[in-house]
Amino acid sequence: MNELEPLTLYSLNNIVRATINRDMPSRYWVTGELSEVRETASGHCYIELVQRDEATRELVAKARGTIWARTYSLLRPYFLEQTGERFSVGLKVLLQVTVDFHELYGFALDVCDIEPAYTIGDMARQKQQIIKRLTNEGVIDLNKELPFPELPQRIAVISSSTAAGYGDFCHQLKNNPYGFVFYPSLFASPMQGAKVEQGIIEALNRIAEHLEQWDVVVIIRGGGATSELSCFDTYDLANNCAQFPLPIITGIGHQRDDTVVDMVAHTRAKTPTAAAELLIHAMSAQAQYVDSLKNDIALAVSGSVDNMRRNIQTILHNLPMSVALYLQQQQHKLALWENTVNSASPRRILELGYTLTTCNGKVVRSSANIASGDVVVTHTAKGNFTSIVTDKKNDNE
Amino acid sequence: MNKIETYNDAIKRLEEIIAQVNAGAVDIDMLTANLREAQELINFCRNKLYKVDEEVKALLSSIADETAE
Repeated sequence: MNELEPLTLYSLNNIVRATINRDMPSRYWVTGELSEVRETASGHCYIELVQRDEATRELVAKARGTIWARTYSLLRPYFLEQTGERFSVGLKVLLQVTVDFHELYGFALDVCDIEPAYTIGDMARQKQQIIKRLTNEGVIDLNKELPFPELPQRIAVISSSTAAGYGDFCHQLKNNPYGFVFYPSLFASPMQGAKVEQGIIEALNRIAEHLEQWDVVVIIRGGGATSELSCFDTYDLANNCAQFPLPIITGIGHQRDDTVVDMVAHTRAKTPTAAAELLIHAMSAQAQYVDSLKNDIALAVSGSVDNMRRNIQTILHNLPMSVALYLQQQQHKLALWENTVNSASPRRILELGYTLTTCNGKVVRSSANIASGDVVVTHTAKGNFTSIVTDKKNDNE
Repeated sequence: MNKIETYNDAIKRLEEIIAQVNAGAVDIDMLTANLREAQELINFCRNKLYKVDEEVKALLSSIADETAE
């Protein structure tokens, strides 16, 4: 071949293809981030894999790739089952590929296998970083530290209105066996996919506009099959939930490890139904307490009445004795008075030999009050006699 | 008696009445009044638990996206 003779493009590409086939015959394990995932009607999956600079996040490498339908039909459910995530944009993946070059379509990776553990590890690492950041910022337990309302009746529910979870939740509350009243109201948000974070944050903001009208926030999503959870593992969403001034209950419906939102929430329930049960239980505890107070007041009042009755009985029982004692005391006093009176009586003095003289019915206390010739009567203890005064002598004479 | 507006206030007042009666701090004339007040408070609490408050319902449906029936 003459070196000056130009090659056709096809020939050049054919050389590249041959070179790649010769020099890169193996399968390679390669890591990257999915920047595009497109499934075709025929079951193939076209992807774009990128690598970013760790610091600047700018793209440093990019490659197209293909997962043929026969491979993708196996890898897709396997990946979902292992990671709980759909094979979708944003995920870090470890793929086994062969390198292909086609004269017309150019460079592409042919994906033959996938290692889900790498994706799981990466998601766990991201989650740990978020948790660490929330811990360092001192917000991770803020929602947990809020007091739980005595009556969690006015419930702001964040869910998708079409999700079965919301229906289950309302049904469970409405049909609670005790007849408790609840007021569940919906604040709609997407519960799946990339819009979850923004949707929930906006719903929280709408609830916060009338904060005092709500007792509790419940974030729920229907369980269904294994479902994507990474949308609940974002920093902004967790931060908003942790700092929300009302207690948040989650019922995101999954059996796996808690999402970061579950971790910062006041209380985590496994499913929407379990979240409803929890609220019913809280009401039931209050109902029992009210009943016990009713008992207590009845006991306290009857105890108090019993006490008063006992006091009256004691008084009645002691009354006769008290009266007898009182009478005895009075009799004793009377006797003393009698004695005193007796000893002061003129009769007693007369009995001692003294006499009492009267003149015209008046007691004669001094000789100055009588004159010679006056008729006086002398009283003795026994009998009296009449005399005529013949002589008198006054003290000062 | 102060006007009781919240469930919490009602519960606190009930606890207070029980404590006073138990301590013998209530005389016989007050006892009937206390018992009547306690009964009213208990009814108030039970209404909160079991009776739909149409006012609350209307208010909440005006500020939520959708209210469950």
